[in-house]
Amino acid sequence: MSNKYIGQSVKRVEDKRFITGQGRYTDDIVLPRMVHAYILRSPYAHARIKSIDTSEALAMKGVVTIYTGKDFENINGVPCGWQVNFKDGTTMREPKHPLLVLDKVKHAGDGVAMVVAETKEIAADAAEAINVKYEVLKAVTNPKEALAPGAPLVHDEYPDNVAFDWQIGNDKAEVDAAMASAHHITKLDFTNNRVVPNAMEPRSYIGDYDTAYDRYTLYTSTQNPHLIRLLMCAFVLGIPEHKVRVVGPDVGGGFGSKIYHYTEEALVTWAAKQLRRPIKWTSDRSEAFLTDAHGRDHVSTAEMGFDKDGHIVGLRIKTYANLGAYLSTFASAVPTYLHGTLLQGVYTTPKIHLDMTCVFTHTTAVDAYRGAGRPEATYLLERLMDVSAHEMGIDPAELRFKNFIPPFDGVNQPGYQTQVALQYDSGNYKAVLERGLEMLGYADFKEKQAEARKNGKLLGVGFSTYIEACGIAPSAVVGALGARAGLFESAQVRVQPTGKVSVYTGSHSHGQGHETSFAQVVADKLGIPLADVEIIHGDSDSVAFGMGTYGSRSLAVGGSAIVKSIEKVLEKGAKIAAHKLECSADDLDFADGKWTVKGTDKSIGFGDVALTAYVPHVYPANLEPGLDFSSFYDPANFTYPFGCHIAVVEVDAETGKVTIKRFVAVDDVGNVINPMIVEGQIHGGLAQGIGQALLEGVIYDENGQLTTGTFMDYAMPRADDLPMFETDRKTTPCPHNPLGVKGAGEAGAIGSTPAVVNAVMNATWHLGVSDLEMPLTPQRVWRAMNHK
Amino acid sequence: MELTGSHVLQAPVQKIWDLILNPEFLAKVTPGISRLEQESGDLYKAIAEIKIGPVHGKFEGSAELTDKVEHESFVLKVTQNSKIGNVEADIKMLMKPTENNETELSFDGVANMSGLLARTGNRVMSGVANTLTKQFFSNFEKELQNH
Repeated sequence: MSNKYIGQSVKRVEDKRFITGQGRYTDDIVLPRMVHAYILRSPYAHARIKSIDTSEALAMKGVVTIYTGKDFENINGVPCGWQVNFKDGTTMREPKHPLLVLDKVKHAGDGVAMVVAETKEIAADAAEAINVKYEVLKAVTNPKEALAPGAPLVHDEYPDNVAFDWQIGNDKAEVDAAMASAHHITKLDFTNNRVVPNAMEPRSYIGDYDTAYDRYTLYTSTQNPHLIRLLMCAFVLGIPEHKVRVVGPDVGGGFGSKIYHYTEEALVTWAAKQLRRPIKWTSDRSEAFLTDAHGRDHVSTAEMGFDKDGHIVGLRIKTYANLGAYLSTFASAVPTYLHGTLLQGVYTTPKIHLDMTCVFTHTTAVDAYRGAGRPEATYLLERLMDVSAHEMGIDPAELRFKNFIPPFDGVNQPGYQTQVALQYDSGNYKAVLERGLEMLGYADFKEKQAEARKNGKLLGVGFSTYIEACGIAPSAVVGALGARAGLFESAQVRVQPTGKVSVYTGSHSHGQGHETSFAQVVADKLGIPLADVEIIHGDSDSVAFGMGTYGSRSLAVGGSAIVKSIEKVLEKGAKIAAHKLECSADDLDFADGKWTVKGTDKSIGFGDVALTAYVPHVYPANLEPGLDFSSFYDPANFTYPFGCHIAVVEVDAETGKVTIKRFVAVDDVGNVINPMIVEGQIHGGLAQGIGQALLEGVIYDENGQLTTGTFMDYAMPRADDLPMFETDRKTTPCPHNPLGVKGAGEAGAIGSTPAVVNAVMNATWHLGVSDLEMPLTPQRVWRAMNHK
Repeated sequence: MELTGSHVLQAPVQKIWDLILNPEFLAKVTPGISRLEQESGDLYKAIAEIKIGPVHGKFEGSAELTDKVEHESFVLKVTQNSKIGNVEADIKMLMKPTENNETELSFDGVANMSGLLARTGNRVMSGVANTLTKQFFSNFEKELQNH
């Protein structure tokens, strides 16, 4: 072990190929004899297909074939990966999500036919010549409206549009009693706006079938190649898993939207064998808006009760989660296990109850989006905290200090058992807020705010002290919760004869910089140069297994698996070194890439040991040649990063436009391998969280048409919408994984959203603005300020 | 999308009624409509070409006159299909004589769009609807002079 790389801002090795245009994405791959697919999609949100006439399209030059729902009548749909049970114990409703629709389309964009042609353009032209006759039906897009009697049904077999209901926390009666005893209750209605993930690279898939070996290859822009293989083989197409290779090459961003097994992946894989030709499908931007799983979309009523001293006595929440028309891979887990379990926040709330109803609507499926459930929970808690503080006349920072869980490191003090199933590993919540206030200059800020108000400027400050659960996920815990998989990770450390190291990780990198930060860990643990390490990921034929990259799990789970394999390499290496040095392995120290006999200058380098392992002429008896180890790491617990985000905004009194003047973020993500990469992750997350607060939001019209289907209508955050972020870190190591890391990928998107909304409220309280729905567009803010 | 408009035309109700029910005339004054062919009774085949910002396409569908009240009102039901999406509109047309023996022509209706048209055009649609309404009435006035 050396400390040359860990903790250093090593520049990302993968960036060279990205910034010189040499990244290799799925759509860059061109296979011989490849044909192209175009999916004809329903223009209606809800309609019965009366007939489909493909004859004119089929006759067009260059068209190979056309598939419709009839071809998939006897083939399974894409599955949901998590099972959640109704409160009464019955299994959630899981409607078939067919590869192509046979009879009834359930959201605008539902796939109706797939045209295969020699070029993408011919396929698109031919799709226009397909004549589909629809009987258009009434649609419903809002989860509460979908529950009303007589609402249009998404799935005719489910007469109330309910996917399942669910609850978590203390006994409802206990929570009701706690609330009844409260001195003050703050009650708010929330809409957590639906957002589109908008990864830079649109989804793209190539299916290939090798007749000689009866073997399939799927190239896919995915966050988890092995998971896609498992779901597609076992649940959809019924192909033996060993006959399928899934490759996730360079992937241009995911943010959750590329976790899921999509219909088009199975379509191109299936069709490749039918046609004996490789077949590519690449989404265009408009399709991405319609068919990439969306995020958030909760409607809630939440109440927080306090005693007369401002201590929280209870939290009671009713939420309706819009899951869209079908259950996407993680859809059922997001509002439940990733949301309900985070409602403790960083506070000592003694009684908590969440009542959740998950609803089908005629909209695109909703699934995990950066943060996944945790931003929704944080939004409820942190909005309630700031509004309660205002209503009770207590400073919002002070109210938090009163209610924080006291510091615990998970080693000398035990983990903190929440009221909502989880046990936090370690935390020091007051430390991040203290640091945040210091960076903000909070004492001076209040004077500045008063002065600004005198000058007619609407200055406001908003807080958010968040916690999240990362390092997804301990198999025993998620198994008990209903995941149909265990979320461990695999790693193989293959030391080559020359002492160079190839690491095969199940964590897929699509922007996170694994090729750098993982290599930093390996290089330091083995005491070799960074350039001697290569990180290989994303190919099911070379990597043993992988659960993929999401839920800020790569370093905590994937990195820990690598460490386990390195330990095995060093253990065997020590035996070889001892044999060569004619001593006992116990007499050796390993440091800076060499084994040294304690108290002597006799040593042997890592490279020599590697060579000996492969050329074992002088070699211990009963030891196998080679230096190559695989490990599977199943975490003992989730990890729980936390932090404090503070936004300072100025609201234009004339126009309602919100400008973020300052944004302070103090995050504690445990130990840090590469500070630059962590900083980059935080920045990106902040931009996405702020985007949701101020700019982004999906709007469906009353017929279920997505009216925000382009970048003209759906506002993404841009550099000039954001201030220079002021960031800092605190470090409370994770006590249960070997690197002490917690995860940083989602933190920014979780903490920032309520901080911005709280700041806007703080700036406009005195004008009678008490609540606003996101995004806080100038029009909404202006109307609220002017009561119009 | 809501469609409303009103304009006073310098001709008696009788004349306006006759003109507006003449498919050739209606096709001429209605922006975007290139042809109206009688299919049966009050049902017409309508062919239109529309270009609105990023959205342009050729529409084919039908236009049907229903609920006719002689010299007073009728409902125009339009169904237009295109590769960029479909439009369905129900528009009530109303003719009211003014004191000077002129006619106040007004309409009130709703158009529902689907597909690409709904996704990419919606933001600009109400502005476009206003422009098309103005065009309709100014075309009407111009053509009126020839009749």
